[in-house]
Amino acid sequence: MDKAEIEMLARRAGLDKALAEFPDDVAAAAEQARAAIGGMKAPSDPRAEPWPPMHAGARL
Amino acid sequence: MAADARGGPVVSELHWLSAAAAARAIAAKEVSPVELTSALLDRIGRLDPKLNVFIRLDAEAAMAAAKAAEAEIAAGRPRGPLHGVPVGIKDIIDVAGLPTTCHSKILIDNVAAADAVCVAKLRGAGAIVLGKLSTHEFAIGGPSFDLPWPPARNPWNPDHHPGGSSSGSGSGVAAGLFPMALGSDTGGSVRNPASACGIVGLKPTYGLVSRRGVFPLSFTLDHVGPLTRTVADNALMLDAIAGHDPLDPGSAAAPSAHHAAALERGVRGLRIGFVRHFHKTDLPADPEVTAALENVALTLQGLGAEIRDVFLPTLGEFGAVNRLILQSEAWAIHGPWLRERPGDYGQLARRRLLPGAFLGAGDYVQAQRRRLEMIAAVEDRLREVDVLLCASAMDPPSRIEDAAETERTYPRQARTPFNVTGHPALAMMAGMSTGGLPLSVQFVGRYFAEATVFQAARAWEREAATDAKHPPI
Repeated sequence: MDKAEIEMLARRAGLDKALAEFPDDVAAAAEQARAAIGGMKAPSDPRAEPWPPMHAGARL
Repeated sequence: MAADARGGPVVSELHWLSAAAAARAIAAKEVSPVELTSALLDRIGRLDPKLNVFIRLDAEAAMAAAKAAEAEIAAGRPRGPLHGVPVGIKDIIDVAGLPTTCHSKILIDNVAAADAVCVAKLRGAGAIVLGKLSTHEFAIGGPSFDLPWPPARNPWNPDHHPGGSSSGSGSGVAAGLFPMALGSDTGGSVRNPASACGIVGLKPTYGLVSRRGVFPLSFTLDHVGPLTRTVADNALMLDAIAGHDPLDPGSAAAPSAHHAAALERGVRGLRIGFVRHFHKTDLPADPEVTAALENVALTLQGLGAEIRDVFLPTLGEFGAVNRLILQSEAWAIHGPWLRERPGDYGQLARRRLLPGAFLGAGDYVQAQRRRLEMIAAVEDRLREVDVLLCASAMDPPSRIEDAAETERTYPRQARTPFNVTGHPALAMMAGMSTGGLPLSVQFVGRYFAEATVFQAARAWEREAATDAKHPPI
């Protein structure tokens, strides 16, 4: 992600204040998110279900 | 321990009494709850300025509760198995009438209206709440020096961190300020301080202990767990706090269990899967950690356990899934505050809570899909063996003021896999480093098989006498 993209995503998330006051923290956070996405291998089976499964008959 | 004139524990040694021993001595009227609580408050007064374990010590309420407990024992009306035993509560867990600050300016005036379910259960068992303990900010941002209160320190060497985020819980139990504490564990935060402080910390099966009244970090990764100096105490505490809560959406309808049932059974015939790749190749551990882990395995083998190597997804894979889920769920909680008042967070919490803003719904769903595969992988291994043995921390705890070294070593751990999968996992002392700091090991069991985890842990504890090792403080 380049600086412009980080800024665009941060503003879309409503982080104008954080961007203005803590730009380094916002940039570091963006990099952490990128690293987390890059570090995960998505399941190869397109039918793989997520956790937790949906259950009918909510308990609350 | 030498007895006093009544045949009870010596007053000067009261702070090292386990919770079980304290409960027995109180029930036998060898020690009064007032005597015990006073002794601990005195020790807290002397040591806490160095350790920063407490955010808020409620001495007055604790002494009032101790006097009430003394009267109840005298009248033959004990409340439960922890009657008169003091406990510390991590400051993300509600205690009625006290602020739950999460160690943050954001919630500095947030007074809890009611006890968290786990606290209410401890009081129901007779425990005496001493106060609220230091934590990393919102259980994620620490150790930090830019918060309303200083970070807790390690009683083995106060220049070093005590692990976190349940930092005050770990430090206080290890230092003999109280025999038991509650913590929370989202990516290792009960087991990290247990590892760094040389005590016993359990992350129970997901949903075994109610999360109601605990400020969340990540809904599907958060667990509440006990920190104690002995395995038996950990089982005793778990008995008190476990149980279905219909008002916690994640609460498990597990059958009630006596978690110490297999405590003294030994490990003869127990099949233990050693996840060596965690510390050999995934995140190569400090050589002293490796040696300590091999010693644990060899010792248990000598006691009759069958040790075999098993393989799971790598720590990198588990870590990525944990981070994606945690960051997404934490952003849902903290987004409004991060938008409106980012400056009221400490820098570490701010940096660690912002990443969710850069993740998409698809990233979260992919992580939850991969999570299901990881659950299946651990379940498969636990059909072949009874317990897993693996590393907890790859290094001894670093110097607390060395931010770079702490940042480097903190993520070097094998705890997050079991937040992802929800299996019960216990960390405890494996040995001591040549630098005088605790080294750690982790035992992991099947869902709701905490009794088997305790069984393996107790066998190691008994052989290595880890429960007799205390910091020189």
